[in-house]
Amino acid sequence: MLAPVTLVIDRVTKRFAQTLALDELTFSVPKGRIFGFLGANGAGKTTTMRICLGILQPDAGDVRWEGTRSVELPRRTWGYLPEERGLYPRMGVLDQLVYFASLYGVPPAEARRQAEHWLARFRIPEYADRRAEELSKGNQQKVQFIAAILHGPDVLLMDEPFTGLDPVNLALLREAFVELRDEGRTIVFSTHQMEAAEALCESLAIVDRGRVVASGTLADLKRTTRARTVRLGVEGEILPSWLTSIDGVAAVRPAAGFMELELRPGTEPREVLASALARGASVTHFEVAEPSLEAIFIEYVGHPAGDDATLESALDEDAA
Amino acid sequence: MTRRDPLLPNAGIVARHEYRDRVRSPLYLLSTVILMGLALAVALTPIGIRYLDRQRVDRIAVVADDDRLAAAMIATAQGIMNIAPAGADPETWTAPYAFERATDLATAEAELVRQRINAYLHVYRLPEGRLQVDYRTSGPVDGVQSQLAGFAALSVAIIDWTSSLPAGSQLGTFEAPVFDPRSISAPIEGGEAVDAVEAASRSFLGTVFIILMFITILIYGMWVATGVATEKSSRVMELMISAASPRQLLFGKVVGIGGAGLTQYIAIVIPAVIVLAFQDQIALAVLGETGAGLPIGGLTIGLLLAYGAFFLMGFTLFAFVYAAVGSFVSRPDDLQTLSLPLSLLAMAGYVSALTVLLSGGGFVGRLASFVPPFSPFAMLARLMVSTVQPWEVALSVGILLVTIALVALGTVRIYATGVLLYGQRPGIRRFIAAARHAG
Repeated sequence: MLAPVTLVIDRVTKRFAQTLALDELTFSVPKGRIFGFLGANGAGKTTTMRICLGILQPDAGDVRWEGTRSVELPRRTWGYLPEERGLYPRMGVLDQLVYFASLYGVPPAEARRQAEHWLARFRIPEYADRRAEELSKGNQQKVQFIAAILHGPDVLLMDEPFTGLDPVNLALLREAFVELRDEGRTIVFSTHQMEAAEALCESLAIVDRGRVVASGTLADLKRTTRARTVRLGVEGEILPSWLTSIDGVAAVRPAAGFMELELRPGTEPREVLASALARGASVTHFEVAEPSLEAIFIEYVGHPAGDDATLESALDEDAA
Repeated sequence: MTRRDPLLPNAGIVARHEYRDRVRSPLYLLSTVILMGLALAVALTPIGIRYLDRQRVDRIAVVADDDRLAAAMIATAQGIMNIAPAGADPETWTAPYAFERATDLATAEAELVRQRINAYLHVYRLPEGRLQVDYRTSGPVDGVQSQLAGFAALSVAIIDWTSSLPAGSQLGTFEAPVFDPRSISAPIEGGEAVDAVEAASRSFLGTVFIILMFITILIYGMWVATGVATEKSSRVMELMISAASPRQLLFGKVVGIGGAGLTQYIAIVIPAVIVLAFQDQIALAVLGETGAGLPIGGLTIGLLLAYGAFFLMGFTLFAFVYAAVGSFVSRPDDLQTLSLPLSLLAMAGYVSALTVLLSGGGFVGRLASFVPPFSPFAMLARLMVSTVQPWEVALSVGILLVTIALVALGTVRIYATGVLLYGQRPGIRRFIAAARHAG
């Protein structure tokens, strides 16, 4: 059954001087879902989130949550984990969590109780009284995540939340995402890490140069894609250099005992096998797999998510 | 319709955070202690000046063509003006005035102008026979010294009158002498002549106040700019800007840091006020009976309050601009580039105030006392060394408050854009462009 749509980004356009950052960007997010907002660096993800929060004003279009324009909603509707990680370096962890929560109207005692709960949940209760600068980057990131959720927002906007996390912390954060979703919160997260997105999101939108090029549930996108994923194992070589030169191969990822190849739309799997054999490779494994999210992304955007220019910083330049 | 973000409570929360952050820093505590010591020294300065001055002997010249009149004048003045106070130890007490005869009037005038003497008494007979005594001094003409000189003139006239009577004659009509006291001090602004010591004391205190204001405004202003720049460089600004509006953040920061400055000011002023409240007792203890009761010129509670008010307004004005500047740099190190013009602006205010303190300031000093951002400095300086009309103070404060409000409005726009810009080279063009694109 489809969840009711409650977050609507409706034809949002934003221009910074000569650069069109968002071009009638439109998508909607079902309530109580984990939503992936996928795009390369500079695609317009951060700008979209800043517009949702009211930090930036769109030139046209608007953002609505349950029918109300985002700029009319109280700030505590939103929880935001910015891509630019930052805390007060010399301030105690617990003190700054209480400080951030108090700006959203949470009473200090309640904020302290919640903060201690989440610090324990993330296995860092002993850091409560430490200065933020004494924490590792991963732990700082967890503290910042707590800062974003402490006031119990309806919508969580998470900009690249998994960047820089080790597998243990990644798993902890994913668990937290699921827990928050189960509490009925809507989570929108941007990433260019397709594996993380594929593991978590139920619906998604792929954005490229300020426009949504695909959106829907992950199952729908996989069903309708023309992209193909091939798993190819070759004897003696872990990652043969010639793989990337095969026509129609957009991306290659090493996996356990084989390589996962994302094919461009229109490329048939048998063409890859023929190319490998033509190069004298001893093929030990060949499988046509369900298309990965990365393959879908490549189909719509034309390249892997990590390859784009950093348009976002260019936009910052243009803003002034 | 857009989101309504009332200033409170978030501006208050930010202000409390900023305030605590400042007042708990070791640097703040250290600077407070140093400034408290400085304030105590300043408050005690007038007593110190009197203490150093207590052995001073004022030299008064007597000019008279008639040797008899000159001798009588010296003897009389000596007797009247150099009476030892009750309880004074004759072993240690020094007569406060020394009298000497000047060769002629021109010499006495020249000596007075060069401040080699403190006053002169010119005694001469008018055509109708009455005596006239001209008293010229570098101090005020309504002071104790002037009154004593008047008594001395009267006494000389009596002696002169009685001695001129033939032996055994009946007393005729006594004609009081003409006594003409005048000060050669240039009247300060407002037309009121001030004793040289008093003027020097006020000028010294004024200079200390202006330097203190200049330094604290620059320091606290840089606190604001550095605070904003640090939030940007540590990237915590992204969290803050989503939790509170730029207006709330900006006002909270200015109020919080201003509050820390005000706390420091109060900590500085309290010991100074205590000294002022007990200045008579302190003077009595330090100067003894002979010095107690002397008017101690300079620091007053009114001037301390004026300093507090102009400091707060001056700080607020500069703090907003510093916040805008801080929002435009990516690292605190970059502040050096943009803060220089602001420092020069404050320096201009400081110089205009010094001009007022040293020479009255003239038209430019007077004008500066109405024009922000110079007015906090220049008006305080005028209050220190002259008589300023209440309407002038009200006008200066009014213009300053309106300017603060306008600057605050502009700063909110700049701040809202500036805090989201990273990796930029600071520059005036970017600054203005961002202000235009903001919002």
